[in-house]
Amino acid sequence: MSAGATDAAVAGEGRDAVGVKLVSHFATVEQQKHAAVLGMWAWLLTELLLFAGLFLTALVLRIIHPEAVQAAARHLKFWIGATNTVVLIGSSLTMSGAIQLSRLGWPRGMVRFMLATAALGTLFLLLKGYEYYADYQEHMMPFLSDRPYELKDSPPSRLFVNLYYVATSLHGLHLMTGITILLVMTWQASRPGFLSLHQNRIEIFGLYWHFIDLIWILAFPTLYVLNR
Amino acid sequence: MTSGTITDGPALRDPHTPDSRIGHGADYLHAEHTLRSWFFTTDHKRIALLYLASITAFFVIGAVTAGLVRLALVVPDGQVFTNDTYNKLFTIHGVVMVWFFLIPSIPATFGNFLIPLMIGARDLAFPKLNLASWYVFMTGALFTLASVVLGGVDTGWTFYTPLSTAFSNTWVVPALIGVTIVGFSSILTGLNFVVTIHTMRAPGMTWFRLPIFVWTHYATSLIFLLATPVITVALVLLIAERAFHIGVFDPAYGGDPVLFQHLFWFYSHPAVYIMVLPGMGVISEIVPAFAQKKLFGYKFVAYAAIGLASVTFFVWGHHMFVNGQSDFASVAFSVLSFAVAVPSAVKVYNWTATIHKGSLKLDTPMLYAMGYIGLFVLGGLTGLYLATLAINQHVHATYFVVAHFHYIMVGGTVLAFLGGLHFWWPKITGRMYIEAWGRISAFLIFIGFNVTFFPQFILGYLGMPRRYHVYPPEFQFLNILSSAGSTILAVGYIFPMVYLVYSIWFGKRAPANPWDARGFEWTVASPPPAHNFVTEPVAPKVPYDYPIQAKETGRQHS
Ligand code: HEM
Ligand SMILES: [Cu+2]
Repeated sequence: MSAGATDAAVAGEGRDAVGVKLVSHFATVEQQKHAAVLGMWAWLLTELLLFAGLFLTALVLRIIHPEAVQAAARHLKFWIGATNTVVLIGSSLTMSGAIQLSRLGWPRGMVRFMLATAALGTLFLLLKGYEYYADYQEHMMPFLSDRPYELKDSPPSRLFVNLYYVATSLHGLHLMTGITILLVMTWQASRPGFLSLHQNRIEIFGLYWHFIDLIWILAFPTLYVLNR
Repeated sequence: MTSGTITDGPALRDPHTPDSRIGHGADYLHAEHTLRSWFFTTDHKRIALLYLASITAFFVIGAVTAGLVRLALVVPDGQVFTNDTYNKLFTIHGVVMVWFFLIPSIPATFGNFLIPLMIGARDLAFPKLNLASWYVFMTGALFTLASVVLGGVDTGWTFYTPLSTAFSNTWVVPALIGVTIVGFSSILTGLNFVVTIHTMRAPGMTWFRLPIFVWTHYATSLIFLLATPVITVALVLLIAERAFHIGVFDPAYGGDPVLFQHLFWFYSHPAVYIMVLPGMGVISEIVPAFAQKKLFGYKFVAYAAIGLASVTFFVWGHHMFVNGQSDFASVAFSVLSFAVAVPSAVKVYNWTATIHKGSLKLDTPMLYAMGYIGLFVLGGLTGLYLATLAINQHVHATYFVVAHFHYIMVGGTVLAFLGGLHFWWPKITGRMYIEAWGRISAFLIFIGFNVTFFPQFILGYLGMPRRYHVYPPEFQFLNILSSAGSTILAVGYIFPMVYLVYSIWFGKRAPANPWDARGFEWTVASPPPAHNFVTEPVAPKVPYDYPIQAKETGRQHS
């Protein structure tokens, strides 16, 4: 087979060819794409379990100690959490736009959508940072001995707040990784010819981005909203 | 892709004529020679060898510390080492053996080497990821090793809270970071296997024509994917608590110490099947080959692998019978634990039925396989004792448990590993080892193992607790017996290291299929060509298509 074989090369006004370069240990491009998609799904499955442990613990805690957990959850900044939910859903939309344009072979629009996605992701992190700062002001960080915790006589509320910090910072870490990969890919994709060789990278990355969004959509009700 | 490097490596040809060109052409060992070509290889076969070298080194470290633990236990008054040293020694032993030897052992070496060959693929789905996972493994393992050697850790391999978070003054955090990193390597390996088995099978290689080895690795990979992230979270929380006081386990911070045990065993019990299932896969290849009979009940053996992988997620509570868990939970976990015995027994019955009336040939791999079956049965039956609530009260945290898990983990994994090593050694290296030496090693290990660990069942039953090195003098005789056994075992381990290495330079050249075995891996040259297959292989109608006697060669199997 010739190197750089592509499938479905489309040519047209303002458009780039779209395709995937066959790597030598695969027999067909279909097989290669299938493997990549399945690989990402498998990865997301393990990531989901990573968060599931934390969320489950938080839920069980809510069931066993409802008052203490509610007292702590009321201190969480509901509006920041809600705004952030909207921001992330918006970023999933722009990412879908980028994927759609990559399929059509419109690299310039695609790059713009990708930059917008990264910007929304960054906005999320900034808001989250501000929220942490407000928590700090309100003595809501049980692990800081120089700022005694507000609800220090209630162990379950401390446990809940600790779980909140671990879960949200783990999510933030995923988001930071996502933004970094996204920016590197945007830079690569802004050079001509990218779509004809690696269109599926955009698709695969899109799965990951939607997943980060999904985790937040699970985290928000579990931590902020339930029996508020 | 049919370019210069592989034109002279015949792939599909009569399996019984030795290839005169082995070692001259482009087999994967000789395709390239530089150090770079090894450390940056993406060939699954070479990566398997990188793993083989690393886990052998870790095994030696684990074995030496085991020897020192046994040395300390020869005298009852604990005069050989200080308490502190003793605690650190058994921790090194446990940490290294479990995290850096047993868990990666068979999947990372034979799994990597054989899965693509067995399903007729040119490589794993993600070759670069495969190489990356070796680097991740080495980074984590060396990191932990440095911390347990330079600073020492005394929590045991289980890192139980609150000892590990609040009381231990040792290098717990660096050790944990290393173990966490190693977890990612497991996840990546599992992911690669799952995707490969799904997408890369040769035409005609349907799910029910896959070798059982592939089935068990599929099940194992699912455990890697589903269980490892939970231990990752548990260890991350432990690190957060110890390093930043983000308390989740320590009651002083509002935490719950039992939570750690739940998260830990939710991983670590399935991890037992990460260790045992691949071993079952190896045995399921060896037994039909040396009985020259179809594997009895192929489908049941395949389903049993998936069954084991599923049930194993629901029994973690049997590690917590005596920690105040509710009686209802204990009864439920006890019953579920008994259920694990069913698919395990299915496998044992199928192997026995395969051997029955087969034309048995007792070469080294088969001796290891028979040893495996014996030890696994004893380990499994004592597991039922432990899952029985009343008996558990009596033997919990005693040497009975130590004996039980060594029968399962060493009997189950190490014997299968050695059996597999002897079985596929000709394929991997292209050389034969000296058969008589192989048989001697198998006998030594079987005898040494039983002399070492059987007395520990009695010790535990009589009440000797684990992790103590001062004990009542009346236990001394059995302890000396156990330590004496461990020296026999050590000799048994050293033997293969010598004669296998010797065979690399001085052994006879191996034919493509020295055992008259079935499976794609035996249709390619020994050692295989760099790209595995020149023409696409075609799957046989049934797996394990054995005749009672190899008609092609007329070779007699008495
Ligand atoms: C593949 C081989 C082996 C593996 C995977 C293995 C694994 C383990 C593990 C996980 C522990 C528990 C440590 C703890 O309780 O924290 C342990 C304990 C022990 N192992 Fe091994 N072991 C192996 C071989 C050996 C050998 C060959 C010997 C003896 C010659 C041995 C002797 C012991 C002893 C005496 C203990 C008890 C330590 C204690 O609780 O005081 N092990 N082993
Ligand atoms: Cu268990």
